[in-house]
Amino acid sequence: MSAKLACLLALVGLAFSSPLFAQDVNLPDATQVELPNGTVLILVEKHDVPMIGVQAILRGGATADPAGKGGLASLYAALIEKGAGKRDAAEFSAAIDSAGATLSASAGMEGITIRGDFLSRDAGLMVELLADMLQRPTLDKDEFEKLRERSINFLRAAKDADPGDLLPTYAAAFVFGEHPYGNPVSGSESSLEALEHADLQDYFANQVGADRLIIAVAGDFETAAMQTRLRDAFADWRRAVEQPATVAALPRQPGGRVLLVDKPGATQTYFWIGNVGVARDFPRRADLDIANTVFGGRFTSMLNTALRVESGLTYGARSTLLRPSQPGSVAISSFTRTDATVEAIDMALGVLGQLRDEGIGDEMRTSAQNYVLGQFPTSLETASQLAAQFALLDNYGLGTDYIDGYGSAIRAVSEESLNAVIDEVYPSGDELIFVLLGDAGTIRDEVKKYGSVTELSITEPRFRVLPKEE
Amino acid sequence: MKTLALGSLLLVLATGADHLLPAVHAAELPQEPAGNNVPAEIESFTLENGLKIIVWPDHDIPNVVMYNFVRAGGRNEYPGITGLSHFFEHMMFNGTEKRAPGEFDRVMEAAGGSNNAYTSNDVTVYQDWFPRSALDTIFDLESDRLANLAFVPEVVESERGVVFSERRSRVDNDNSGKLYEQVVATAFVAHPYQFPVIGWPSDIEAWTMEDLQSYFQTYYAPNNCTMVFVGDVTPDEIRAFADEYLADIPAQSPPAAVRTVEPEQLGTRRVTVQAIAQTPQLHLAFHAGAASDEETLPLEMLLKILVDGESSRLHRTMVEDEQLAISVGGFQSEGFDPGLAYFYLILPQGGDASVAEARLLELLADVAEHGVSDAELSKARNIMLADFWRGMATIDGKAAALGNFEVFHGSYEKLFSLSEQIESIGNERLRAVAASVFRPANATVGLLEPLADNAMGEEQ
Repeated sequence: MSAKLACLLALVGLAFSSPLFAQDVNLPDATQVELPNGTVLILVEKHDVPMIGVQAILRGGATADPAGKGGLASLYAALIEKGAGKRDAAEFSAAIDSAGATLSASAGMEGITIRGDFLSRDAGLMVELLADMLQRPTLDKDEFEKLRERSINFLRAAKDADPGDLLPTYAAAFVFGEHPYGNPVSGSESSLEALEHADLQDYFANQVGADRLIIAVAGDFETAAMQTRLRDAFADWRRAVEQPATVAALPRQPGGRVLLVDKPGATQTYFWIGNVGVARDFPRRADLDIANTVFGGRFTSMLNTALRVESGLTYGARSTLLRPSQPGSVAISSFTRTDATVEAIDMALGVLGQLRDEGIGDEMRTSAQNYVLGQFPTSLETASQLAAQFALLDNYGLGTDYIDGYGSAIRAVSEESLNAVIDEVYPSGDELIFVLLGDAGTIRDEVKKYGSVTELSITEPRFRVLPKEE
Repeated sequence: MKTLALGSLLLVLATGADHLLPAVHAAELPQEPAGNNVPAEIESFTLENGLKIIVWPDHDIPNVVMYNFVRAGGRNEYPGITGLSHFFEHMMFNGTEKRAPGEFDRVMEAAGGSNNAYTSNDVTVYQDWFPRSALDTIFDLESDRLANLAFVPEVVESERGVVFSERRSRVDNDNSGKLYEQVVATAFVAHPYQFPVIGWPSDIEAWTMEDLQSYFQTYYAPNNCTMVFVGDVTPDEIRAFADEYLADIPAQSPPAAVRTVEPEQLGTRRVTVQAIAQTPQLHLAFHAGAASDEETLPLEMLLKILVDGESSRLHRTMVEDEQLAISVGGFQSEGFDPGLAYFYLILPQGGDASVAEARLLELLADVAEHGVSDAELSKARNIMLADFWRGMATIDGKAAALGNFEVFHGSYEKLFSLSEQIESIGNERLRAVAASVFRPANATVGLLEPLADNAMGEEQ
């Protein structure tokens, strides 16, 4: 249950996933080939356990969702699990489960990702099911209607659950507005309602094809045999009719604005404070990773130390950078009991001011460098992780040095380079946009001091306030 | 939990904690002679103070993971100190006689390590993930907090706020968490498994310094702990570090046994939670066995068939075919004492919980009467085989699996001999365990009922 729901709600998806990097482990050798139709195959042998991990990325994703039809890519990803090739929905899931395998598709902002792992004895089944999902989805109308209704109910259920999970979705909609990064990948209750079966058929006809596909497999197989299997299964597939949508960069947005999402009866206020940040190709990513580790990226970070360790105001406070192909968001997020809302927000703002005014000293920088380097190897440990890393590198056109050279880049971070990046990336106080979710009746007046307040009920079937003309 | 990853509904139920025990079961390791599947490189030893340490060298990456299983959890609590085990978990990061509050984490992270911890009904488990270069630092930190833990009054008060915030996120502001807490408290009338691991609010606000000191003395003794190291280490170096850092910590008298045995349930129990909500929820709990009971493994296999994957019986019937629910999940608690087999369903807006309940009971009764198909049995075996290998793919998964088998099944070696057991369990065992557990008189039914005046009409 949770995995499906998390996929559905993932605003972030592949475009935003942010791998760790270090020096002491390097990427293993991989075989990479491009088929004549444009599909990229990446194969990595790893024989420690008898499993194979696969990660396929189909470029495109929710940025291409038409206006008013948010959730199209997400629902398409869910529907290709509901029957493909010779199998109907029940048979398709039985084929996966009976092998003890996993195989599921989910949309992100800039692509649909299919992830799975199989016992190595089932390599043939893995390739067959993957090829069927991509090339021969049934797109059954009854399955579509069930899935649309269930997806709408998943959003309602999510609003009954831990509110922190939905905060980034509200925040993206408020900060990015009509820009593609403002549209929830999952869609909203109202945009899902607007989707029709023909929209999904069109998606398959126009947005899906071999030249948009990267398949990375890693694990217990022999490269030559696996390459033959994949080539046989994918070489004859057509190219996509359309090119993936391109997204323009959105500049930093005006600050001093507050979105207050009302959840009556909430005993805690969940808050997100940020603005537009930087893109995947941000050139000084090592400096930025160290800065964010110190500011809000680990347990002893400045934010968690102030709001949790020293004051007991919250269970956790963090800072997050989302870096898709164009600038994503940079934000602080935390939560606290309703009557401490302003105290906690003011404290977070104070910590941000401290970061910008005082920078990061030697001792803290060294600690963060050790931390990032020390934790990195566990992100390259399993076949599934390797498949994901290689797929991501190819998707963003990054070379292996993006990972293999990262350790030395982390070691090279200096006080000057670190403080320059802080100035550039973290917004100043008057540039901040606030998204608060809690009991509006209690906190409405006191949060006016952060800017002009817009209110939205959590039961509103969308994540943004409707423009007046609707 | 010390920290949580935001974003999983199921984590809410982790406050009940049992699903945190990974579903890892054994398969035969290839290249090992039949009858002895235990990898030869695993070694274990017990210090004179009673601390058992298990070491599994694995040099795939230059990192190490440490798990310390402390046999203390919700079952060791009583009214007035509910939640204390979990609170104590937090206090284990908050200062010793030689280190100020916060220094434990600062030192560990500066050495490249990270950590977390979780508390269940049965155990409190501390986890460190670190580069092998930090080995000496880790032993220093771990031995210091076991030998010299200190309680600073202001830190105790501050940490109450942290734990209450954790409770608000997991329980008070999450409808699944609210319902789960009430169902468990209803299912048990005598045994301490009835208490929420996070603690009742009044206890979180009220436990005292004396409670903490007495708890530390009783439970945080080396003879009440089991440590596991997996990764880029050798057994000899771990033994040397253990001798240097841990051997001098004195043993304590073993904690008193938990005496209360939950009496047999004599009829269906029901509990309703009314909450502001758009979606109703249905939970169903049955008394089942302890981790070491013979019927726990067959029940685990049965649960794979009932709720694991979209082809599972309950998902296929209730979510796909009949659309009575939008999601269904289930697990059994595998603890020291008999626990629960637990099902949780979210219904669509306006869904009829009584229809869903009747259908769920009917589907479970069908298994009790007719058992499962050969294909389902084979599926359960394959799922458990693949889950085993998923666990073996990381040093973290290996440490979790070794520790859980050692603590809950009496020996880590059993991790490697379960494949034969799984193969030997046939349809009749599954049918029989269903018949013995899934009885209406053994059930507690929980309903989350959306408050009528907030039933949230659909705005178009």
